[in-house]
Amino acid sequence: MSAGPYNYSYIFKYIIIGDMGVGKSCLLHQFTEKKFMADCPHTIGVEFGTRIIEVSGQKIKLQIWDTAGQERFRAVTRSYYRGAAGALMVYDITRRSTYNHLSSWLTDTRNLTNPSTVIFLIGNKCDLEGQRDVTYEEASKFAEENGLMFVEASARQMGNRGDNVEEAFLETAKKIYQSIQDGRLDLNAAESGVQHKPSQPGRNNLSADQQASKDNCAC
Amino acid sequence: MLAVHQDVINIVQAKFLSAEIVKSIHLNVSALDETYNDDNRILALVEYNKTFALFVLISARKKPISISDLCIETVIPIDEYFSCDTEPIEESQSHIIFIITSKKIKLQFKIEIGIESSNFASEVIRSKEVSLYNPPVFVWLDKYIGTMSQLNRNSDLGEQSDTPIIRQRITQGTTAINRESMLKYQLKLKEPEFTEKQEFTIFVGTWNVNGQPPSVSLRPWLCYDESPPDLYAIGFQEIDLSKEAFLFNDTPREAEWQKYVMEGMHPKAKYRLVALARLVGMQLAVMINSQHYPYVKNVSYDTVGTGLLGKMAVWQFGWSYITPPSASVNCHLAAHVEEFERRNQDYKDINARMNFKRNPIAIKDHEQVYWLGDLNYRITDLTTSQVKTLVARKELNKLLKADQLNQQKERGNVLLDYTEGDIKFQPTYKYDLNTDIFDTSEKARPPAWTDRILWRGKGIYQVEYRSHMDMRISDHKPVSSLFKSEISVVDPLKFRKIHEDLLKKMDKYENEYLPQVTVDQTEVKYDLVKFREPQTREIIIANTGMVPAEFEFIKKLDETSYCKDWLRIIPYCGSINPGETCEVKFEVTLETSLQNIYDILVLHLKGGKDMFITVSGDCQRSCFTSSIAALCRINVPIMQLSEEEWRLAENNESGVLYSVPREIWLMVDHLYRYAGTVQAVAESLLLFLSYTKDPVIPFELHDTCIAAASNFQNCRQIILQRVPDLHRNVFLYICMFLQELSKYSNDNGYDARTLPLYSVTSCSGIRYVTRSRKTAGASRILSIISS
Repeated sequence: MSAGPYNYSYIFKYIIIGDMGVGKSCLLHQFTEKKFMADCPHTIGVEFGTRIIEVSGQKIKLQIWDTAGQERFRAVTRSYYRGAAGALMVYDITRRSTYNHLSSWLTDTRNLTNPSTVIFLIGNKCDLEGQRDVTYEEASKFAEENGLMFVEASARQMGNRGDNVEEAFLETAKKIYQSIQDGRLDLNAAESGVQHKPSQPGRNNLSADQQASKDNCAC
Repeated sequence: MLAVHQDVINIVQAKFLSAEIVKSIHLNVSALDETYNDDNRILALVEYNKTFALFVLISARKKPISISDLCIETVIPIDEYFSCDTEPIEESQSHIIFIITSKKIKLQFKIEIGIESSNFASEVIRSKEVSLYNPPVFVWLDKYIGTMSQLNRNSDLGEQSDTPIIRQRITQGTTAINRESMLKYQLKLKEPEFTEKQEFTIFVGTWNVNGQPPSVSLRPWLCYDESPPDLYAIGFQEIDLSKEAFLFNDTPREAEWQKYVMEGMHPKAKYRLVALARLVGMQLAVMINSQHYPYVKNVSYDTVGTGLLGKMAVWQFGWSYITPPSASVNCHLAAHVEEFERRNQDYKDINARMNFKRNPIAIKDHEQVYWLGDLNYRITDLTTSQVKTLVARKELNKLLKADQLNQQKERGNVLLDYTEGDIKFQPTYKYDLNTDIFDTSEKARPPAWTDRILWRGKGIYQVEYRSHMDMRISDHKPVSSLFKSEISVVDPLKFRKIHEDLLKKMDKYENEYLPQVTVDQTEVKYDLVKFREPQTREIIIANTGMVPAEFEFIKKLDETSYCKDWLRIIPYCGSINPGETCEVKFEVTLETSLQNIYDILVLHLKGGKDMFITVSGDCQRSCFTSSIAALCRINVPIMQLSEEEWRLAENNESGVLYSVPREIWLMVDHLYRYAGTVQAVAESLLLFLSYTKDPVIPFELHDTCIAAASNFQNCRQIILQRVPDLHRNVFLYICMFLQELSKYSNDNGYDARTLPLYSVTSCSGIRYVTRSRKTAGASRILSIISS
């Protein structure tokens, strides 16, 4: 169990969810590459990113799944919630509709993850103060009522809240790590979203033995 | 001289890496070796980082014109074993023999006397001198030794950078496992950037105190040098010879001696104890100047007992300081002159059995090792008086030749690779207590250098090696050695920065080296999809990443297959190399009643992202795949119905217009009228019967029918009573048609046996379930009825 000085002790699986166009992929890109991705195309599928961070002296590898936000993919992206240790739920502070849909995203998250999954609410695009459509206070209240962590951030990294992108990912990890320390998160549970050993990214819900039935019925 | 062969030097240089500089060459060298007399050889002196090596190259021609003419024959490092000489050839005025020796190699070449040869020889001699000043490292030669006398290698001569290795490793898809070792490797490469060599003075002392309690200050020994050392490693042997000490491995003497040590250290500096290890009357204490104390890490020690109780005990102590771990070993080996083999064995045992728990590496793998103690090796073959005389005459060299340790070491039996400084002090054993007089007792043991200090490792320079005659309370004199040792000190700020940069770089690589593909379309749309008219669309998956991408269409949560029945994906999985593309065919075939087709396919990259591909299209309404009941409710071709009319018919809400579907009647009628040229229509009828939304004989009656197959009455009853009206109509209608057909079996060649079998599969409507068995049963029913 002891990790060498350069190894990482844990892998945490994250998902990023929220309406289309709220900047989920930009947040991921900002976090993994420290760059703002202008003209980011719509994600049609689930993007994958990874980064190693340090929490309380422990190296932790984050495996981040950035899901498509389009409504029509909703049924498919639900497959990816399972086994997430952290869920970053994103809305766009300049579009109220994306905020209004949060309860539906939250319901999905609660239903499809386990109770110890840390949910972090991110109000993205806070650099566009002039176009603000959702107040900080309102969202903050929503977060509080639902027991979510909350921050406003900007993947564009303009203004003084740019660092909050980093913070959201790190704070989530800290909370997960704390759950492990407190024993609230059962590492042995398949769906804890936390692994001890390094491994290849993969989804535990979509297994490989799927083609058998298909092959047989092609007659 | 360089100008003379500059073109050839350039060619020779091409054989080497650019950092390996060809300093000088000599052409037209022939070996004084009978077999290869005729070869044109070139001698080349090559420098890399102030180390030199002499290369013997075989040239395909007298003067090479390209590097493919050259082949490396021999590599000789210019180190301490290297020497060169010349010898005149008797009958020749123009040539001399150039002799190169190194370890077991002796090479002789015939060269022409001239400017070229004298220049070359002087360069070689100069390089030999340079190598004496800095101990050369010849790792760079390893790659050439492997290629000696083999075919030319023209490739791999470019500069190596660190990144290709990473890329290669990551490309192999084992990033998670290799990441740590890669990082270590990268850090090792960058070590010079975050460490600096610092010189530490190290005082190593050993004293066999012969069971005496401490009674005098140790300062004459420990403070022998003017300036305070950075580190002390002090070993004692025979602290307590009492039986209790051996039995309980615990004696107050140890603490007493340690107290004297702590008090006896240099007053000009403050010291802290790093660790203390004890074993049966022996102890090794390591003390460090307190300003260095915070940097000491991974302290670990172990003790190893060898031999019989009380006879000898060996223990040792390892400690890691800043970057490279070092170790100091204190030991007390077996006593008595004749026991030298025992001592050798003890030494081996210590090495074999040492196990540092915190940092489990062998003694020999430590960067620096100091070996001290009462090694107990004696002087052989000389009588006590001879020894004493030689000591008195200060002819220590003669005595040292008779020293067992020197002899055994020379034979490679013990402390191989360890270095000991020149001994300029008289033997440290055995003295009358409180005197400087060698043993005058009855035993009159011959004096010996039992107490020794050796070292092993890079960057250790012995300042002085001495004994301390004025310490008289034991029958041994203490010995000490002052070293100046280079230790790599990590600059924590630089280290942190480099470490973080590397981590970021690895994160970046890891993300960059995730499999990446793009598809030319994520929306696959079909034209109007018609019954049993396959349509194919192609998507192109392009690998835009750096690594091979293994793709596969995977099933969604709660689904049983990766796509719907109406779709075939060819291929549904595969591997695409970077820069290449793969065409995937999506073939849709409609055989059921659907208004439209729609599905989201998940294209998964192994170890990477997933992409969603949406497949969609509208379907044409068709009388095939409709229900018998609905078809009996329509009196026009299905395509002519309005949505509403069709909805009513499908839900059995409109009135029944026909007793059998119009389509069946049309086809049967056609067959009846135009017998002979009816293949297409007959096939259509069969298809029609095969694909009706619900089979003619409903699913729920299949098993009953099979059970009743051998009994005509039962069959009849099932057909008449349990099959729904419209379905029974169809069944009877077909049967009557077949009956009619069989009347003309003489003309059409069909008979009651072949005909039903021919059509029965569809007609009976038993499908979707193991056909062969049930078909047989159903055909029986049919034949019974039709007869």
